[in-house]
Amino acid sequence: MANEQVKFYTVGQVTTLIKTTLENGLPGRLTVRGEISGWKGPHSNGHCYFTLKDEGAVLPCVMWGSNFKKVKFRPENGLAVFATGNIDIYEPQGKYQFYVDKMEPAGVGALQLAFEQMVKRLTAQGLFDEAHKKPLPKYPRRIGVLTSESGAAVDDIKKSIFDRWPCVLCLYPVPVQGEGAAEKIASAIRDVNRRNDKLKLDILIVGRGGGSQEDLWAFNEEVLARAIYDSKIPIISAVGHEEDVTIADLVADVRASTPTKAGVVAVPDAREVLEKLSSAQSRLTGDMKSVIELAEQRLQTICASAAFRNPLLQVRNRQQQLDEMGGNLKELIGDMITGARERLNGYYEQVVRLEPHRLIGRKMVEVNELTSRANAAVSALLGRAGLLLTAQENRLAGLNPRAVLKRGYSITTLKQTGMVLKNASQAQMGDTLVTELAENLIESKVIKK
Amino acid sequence: MAKEEVKNDVGKLTFEQAIKELTAIVGKIEQGEIALGDSLQQYEKGMALIKQCRKILQDAEKRIEKIAEEGKGQQ
Repeated sequence: MANEQVKFYTVGQVTTLIKTTLENGLPGRLTVRGEISGWKGPHSNGHCYFTLKDEGAVLPCVMWGSNFKKVKFRPENGLAVFATGNIDIYEPQGKYQFYVDKMEPAGVGALQLAFEQMVKRLTAQGLFDEAHKKPLPKYPRRIGVLTSESGAAVDDIKKSIFDRWPCVLCLYPVPVQGEGAAEKIASAIRDVNRRNDKLKLDILIVGRGGGSQEDLWAFNEEVLARAIYDSKIPIISAVGHEEDVTIADLVADVRASTPTKAGVVAVPDAREVLEKLSSAQSRLTGDMKSVIELAEQRLQTICASAAFRNPLLQVRNRQQQLDEMGGNLKELIGDMITGARERLNGYYEQVVRLEPHRLIGRKMVEVNELTSRANAAVSALLGRAGLLLTAQENRLAGLNPRAVLKRGYSITTLKQTGMVLKNASQAQMGDTLVTELAENLIESKVIKK
Repeated sequence: MAKEEVKNDVGKLTFEQAIKELTAIVGKIEQGEIALGDSLQQYEKGMALIKQCRKILQDAEKRIEKIAEEGKGQQ
């Protein structure tokens, strides 16, 4: 066996052979109809990997990021598609695969599908919620318009607004179709919102004129939908013709079916407002007149009342009443006095019956008796007190030092000082002495000691 | 004096504020639940508001300004 010259191929050779066979046997480009399964992608580099299958077979597929970017709808498992590309060998894994560069949904059109998918997805995310929609100011002063400078839409919008309402339109030119248009409109919306403390826009109108679904596609892109959703300034969408509905229309606060309808949606009609003002004026004047008339009527009614018709009568009536009351009063007081007098007489009789003078006589005798008894008692008391006093006086007299002098003693004092002498040394020779006797004094001189 | 004040106040109002106030005044007078003196004052104010609204409308211009992305300069 080993010696036999068997022809063999390297792996590389056989792979090249298969490649050549495939290239010769298959059309260079082909479109395959199948159902997507095992969808993986897009990876970070944008490439997508999946298989197309039908009842009996599967075809491994690759779609490079550069091609996938152009696909508007979102491929998903189970979706039937037409995929166009070429079949080739993937040498590292020894398998053939379908290099897809274009993909179309097999049922509806790709854009229609993409639109439906977007509606479904953004609805689920709440971007179309009525609750999020902002009310438009009733009388806008500054309106921002985001549209192409060159299109007819800008004139339509301008005319539709200026026909109705004086205000300032701020035109912000943006591309409205083609690559990157959606991103540019979105960033313009964010830009205007950021600067609105200076721009002071009350409303933004985002729109363009009619066109094919591709032309309008920028208004179906998610990046624009999100910018509209996030805008703090209320947004009116005005895209395409009456029947065109875009994602921007669904997410905008208010939709104008076309640019020419933008004015009707955005601003009031100045003529109507002026009419309303006139009617307010006439109502106000009318109301004011009737208020005054009413007040006048009330005044007249009051003037017509009896009090104002004959004021003197009122006074007379009061006077009469007063007179009547005065008469009554006099009578009443007379009655009162008579009654009081009668009562007083009654009391007098009672008092007289009691014989007051006799009562007083009896009381006088009692008083006299009590007085003499009291006097006697006081005299006795005083007598006793006098005796006591004399006894004490006598006792006290015995204690007086002068009483001793009566018995022949005397008191000698130095005349100069009045000092009582108790010792001879207290006096000097020649000093004058005073000697107090029981009766009178004598003076003497010291001649010896 | 009071009239001047009313005038000055009204002159500062935006269209929206003026309309709002005017509506309130008309309503109040219509209902007749207002004293005669007050209603005269309100009437005067209402008339001033109407004048102000007309003036705002007449003064308002139809003008186009062009704005560009920030950084690219403004007209």
